[in-house]
Amino acid sequence: MIDVVSILSANILYVVLITLGGMLISLSVHFVPVGGAPAAMAQATGIGTGTVQLAAGAGLTGLVTAGAVMAVSDSLPLILAAGAVGAMIMMSVTMLVGAWVYTYGVGVPPASAKIKYDPITKDRQDLYVSQGTEGHGLPTVSYVSGVIGGLLGGIGGALVYYSLMSTSTGLTMTNLIGLASIFAVGIFFVNAVIPSYNIGGTIEGFHDPKFKKWPKAVFSSFIATFLSALVGVLAIGGL
Amino acid sequence: MSAGGEPAVAGGAVAPNKIIAFGILGGLIGIYAAHFLDSMISPVFSFMGALGAICAIVWGADAVRRVCSYGLGTGVPSIGMLALGMGVVASMFGLAVGGIAGPIIAFVSAAIIGLIIGVLANKVLGMNIPIMEQSMVEIAGAGALTIVGLSTTMAGTFMFEEVLTFVIAPGYIAVIFIAGGMGILHPFNACLGPDEHQDRTLTLGFEKGGIAMVIAGLVSAVAGSAAMLPTIMIGVFIWYTSFAKFYELTKRDSYKILGSGLLPSEEELQ
Repeated sequence: MIDVVSILSANILYVVLITLGGMLISLSVHFVPVGGAPAAMAQATGIGTGTVQLAAGAGLTGLVTAGAVMAVSDSLPLILAAGAVGAMIMMSVTMLVGAWVYTYGVGVPPASAKIKYDPITKDRQDLYVSQGTEGHGLPTVSYVSGVIGGLLGGIGGALVYYSLMSTSTGLTMTNLIGLASIFAVGIFFVNAVIPSYNIGGTIEGFHDPKFKKWPKAVFSSFIATFLSALVGVLAIGGL
Repeated sequence: MSAGGEPAVAGGAVAPNKIIAFGILGGLIGIYAAHFLDSMISPVFSFMGALGAICAIVWGADAVRRVCSYGLGTGVPSIGMLALGMGVVASMFGLAVGGIAGPIIAFVSAAIIGLIIGVLANKVLGMNIPIMEQSMVEIAGAGALTIVGLSTTMAGTFMFEEVLTFVIAPGYIAVIFIAGGMGILHPFNACLGPDEHQDRTLTLGFEKGGIAMVIAGLVSAVAGSAAMLPTIMIGVFIWYTSFAKFYELTKRDSYKILGSGLLPSEEELQ
C-alpha cells in the first residue's frame, strides 16, 4: 500500500491549491449569466443553457490554454493568466453569439427583469421587458459579469491542473497529463454542479439577488474539493 | 445477455432495492469476471466489463429518475455530470491504489464522496430533498462502476498500468466520461413528464449502455489483451433489442401516432 503520510506531507501545498481552485470555480459560476431552459425560449435573461454546459465549455477551454502554456513555461502566474484568458474568450464568444441570436434572430432587446437600471450603463430595463417573461437577452451588466466568471473559473481550473501536474510522482509525462486532466475535469464538473443547485439553475450575474447566496456554495465546494484533492494527490503521488 | 431482462411490468413496479442490487452486484461481477476470465482463459471475455457497466448505467438511470422527480431547480444533465465527476475522481483513485481490490475501493470512495455531497446539498444548500443523500451515494457509485467497467473492457483488465496506457493517456477516458454520463442522465431527461414510466426509462438506459459498449469495443482494438469483435457484436445486439423494445414501449405509452408526412411544398400551400 501507499505511504499516505509522506505523500500528503510532501504535497500539502498542492492539496490546498486544488481546494482553492475548486472554490474559485464555484464562485465563478455565480457570475455567469445562466438562463437555463427559459432563456432558450427568450423568457429569462442569460444564455439559454445550463450551468454545467457553460462552466464546462469555459473551464475546459481554460484547461486547454493553461496546458498549452504549461508545455513551454513553468511560471505559475503565466499559466493562471493563460487559463483565465482562455476561459474569458470562450465565455465572451458564447455570450456574443448568444446576444446576436436573441437580438437579430428572436428579435428581443436585451433586458433584465431583476433590476430597474443597468448598474453599468444606467439604461432603463423594465420598459423593455416583454410581458410574462423574466427578461431576455444579455444586458451589459450580465455580459461583464459573465466575463468576470470566465476569469475566476479559468484561474480556478488552471490552478487545479497546475497543482495536479506538480504533485511529486513516478509517472511518465504522457500518463501524468492524461491522469491530471481527467482529475481536473472531474473536480471541475463537481464544482460546477454544486453552485448550480445553490442558485436553482438560473442567475443573471452579480446584480441578481441570488448572487448573495454564494458563500453557501463556496463552503460546500471547499469540503467537496478538499476531499477530491486528497484523493487525487494520493492517487497521483502514490504512483 | 446478462441484462437480467428489461423490467416488463407496465407502470414500472421494479423496487429500488432490486435495481440497486442489480447495479452493484452486476457491475462488480461483470468487472471481476472480465478481469479474471480475460487473463485466465481468453481476451474474448473482456466484454463482461461493459455488461457490468450497463448494469451500473441502468441503476444510475433509475437513481436519477427517483431524485429528479423531486425537481432539482436545474436540468437533469447536471446530475449526470456530477455522477461522472465524482465517479471519475473516485475510480481513478481506487484503481491507482487498490490493485486487485481496485473496483471495490473505487466504489466505496465514490459512495463516501457522494454521501458528503448529498449531505452538503441538503444541509448547506438547503435543497431539502428527502432522498438526496441516498441518491447521491447511488449516483456516484453507479458513475464509478460505469467508468471502471468500460475501462476494463477497453484495456482488458482493471490493473492501473494497462488502464493508464490504453485508456487514460490516449484520452479515451473522456469518451467514457461522456458516453457513461449520457447513459445515466439521458434516459430520464428524454422520458420525463407526467407519462413517464419506469420500464420505458430504464429500457432507454439499456440502449445507451449498448452504444457505450460498442464504443468501448472499438477502442479495445488497440489493447492486446482485449477482444474487439465480441464486445461490438454483443453491444450492437443489446442496442438493437433495447431500442426495438423502447420503440414498442413508446408506442404503448403514446396516445396516438399519426404520420405527419413531409413539409408541404409551395404549390400545395396555395
